Amino acid sequence: MVSAPTLHVVTTELAVGSFAMAGIAFLLAGLGSHGWLGMKRHLQLADHVAHFALAFGLLALPFAIMTGIQSSPGEGLDHPLLINKMLLGSSAFGLAIGVLLARRAHGPDIWTRHLGRRWQALGGMAAVGMVLLTASLGGTYARGESLLSWLPFSFDTVPLMPLWFSTALLIVALVNIGLVRKQPSP
Amino acid sequence: MKRISLMLVVLTLLLAPSLGSANPNGVGSGTFDAQCGGACHGDADMNRSSTASVVVNAPSVAYEGLLTSVSVTVSDIETTSTGLLGFFLLSDLSGAGDTPADAGWTILSNSEGGSENYVEAVIASGQTEHTVHWTLRAPSVGTATLHASIHHGSEDGSEAPFFGASTSPATIDVREVPEDLPRLASDFEPPVRRDIGEATTITLTTEHVDQVAVEWKVSGGEVNTATVSTSGDNAWEFALPASLQPVQLEWRAHLEGEGPDQTTPWFQLQSEEPSWSVDETSAYVQSMAMLFVFIAAFLSLQRQSTTTAKDFDAFDSDEHEEVA
Repeated sequence: MVSAPTLHVVTTELAVGSFAMAGIAFLLAGLGSHGWLGMKRHLQLADHVAHFALAFGLLALPFAIMTGIQSSPGEGLDHPLLINKMLLGSSAFGLAIGVLLARRAHGPDIWTRHLGRRWQALGGMAAVGMVLLTASLGGTYARGESLLSWLPFSFDTVPLMPLWFSTALLIVALVNIGLVRKQPSP
Repeated sequence: MKRISLMLVVLTLLLAPSLGSANPNGVGSGTFDAQCGGACHGDADMNRSSTASVVVNAPSVAYEGLLTSVSVTVSDIETTSTGLLGFFLLSDLSGAGDTPADAGWTILSNSEGGSENYVEAVIASGQTEHTVHWTLRAPSVGTATLHASIHHGSEDGSEAPFFGASTSPATIDVREVPEDLPRLASDFEPPVRRDIGEATTITLTTEHVDQVAVEWKVSGGEVNTATVSTSGDNAWEFALPASLQPVQLEWRAHLEGEGPDQTTPWFQLQSEEPSWSVDETSAYVQSMAMLFVFIAAFLSLQRQSTTTAKDFDAFDSDEHEEVA
């Protein structure tokens, strides 16, 4: 029988490895789409690798979250770091899905748009950065240290919104997604 | 030249993890084999011998399935940069499958406020001795042994993995429980933690007990007597006073009945600051809201950006190298 902490290590490495690869590929795709550093000839490869690795990372992430909850020493959300980890993780998840949906909607042409290519590269890298920051919070929670401890962010306070505001925001976001998806791509 | 550069990059990447693989802030309490608790400390090729001495103290006799107390005392403690000292209670020193649970013991509590075989204590600078107590349920009849080991870092912060172990194990003769032995019920589990400012009422369930007396003390302090009242058949109730700061309170019960009188081991009750709490529904809904807001925001952003004209043939040629 494999224990939850061991499985968490395996699934986390799978997810973080995929996201790290996606982050590098988004960087290369961003450079390639601008024709910088002679990267243009690798744009198609970087584009495919970035989005595939991001999608694979998203598939692996729920397993990392589930095993992480099972191996957590506490009960429930009893620490500010855990709440911030959840909020940051869901934001990263949303941004990554947004990046993938945008790529699916616009196809490879997304790298031909003046602003679109920038948003796609920056969005992909930001999603990856947020996932890695989320993962590092696990190290901070379990061991009091992480590779990203040097960053000037404190996660000791929780920016929790009122329930009504979160609900309203959720509804607005869902309506917005529905409208954006309904409109034909220009 | 390119190969050499590539080789240097690969070598750097391979060597980088070994430079930062130690855990100077510890790994936290847990149920660990000696090796898993800190492989560098347990690896004979990497570790260094601690000068501290480790002694396991345990009663020579225990009864099968009943509670007993074991302590590990470390003296001549070396000062370390973080003050962290890891204590293992082990059933052998093989390095794998050596937790007390592997030999049939059940740990109910330890004096650091947990129920694991590995605990990390913070040792103040200049402190040379520290003791950790465990309360365990004895395994099946036979001769049982318990060992202890420690690991820690160094004073200069070099993260050298020091390791030490007890020179001789504690040997415990585990016997069958006499029929009429006054004892705690087999399903009784003493509380381990409580919040500061909260008095604790404990219901003690017993077998073959006619009378109970309870003593309590703050660790290292004066022994007091608690008032015990009956609470039904084979059940006794007593209250322990609230504490005003994080402190460890210990209590034990004297059990009298037809058989020989028994005294339980000292049970530790750690009082801590009330745990942090949050409205979990709000947190979950906000989490969902954040997820969909980021999807909506990014899709909207990209849709807006598509209104600008194409100005770059992405995959086709290298003709447009310089854009925008």
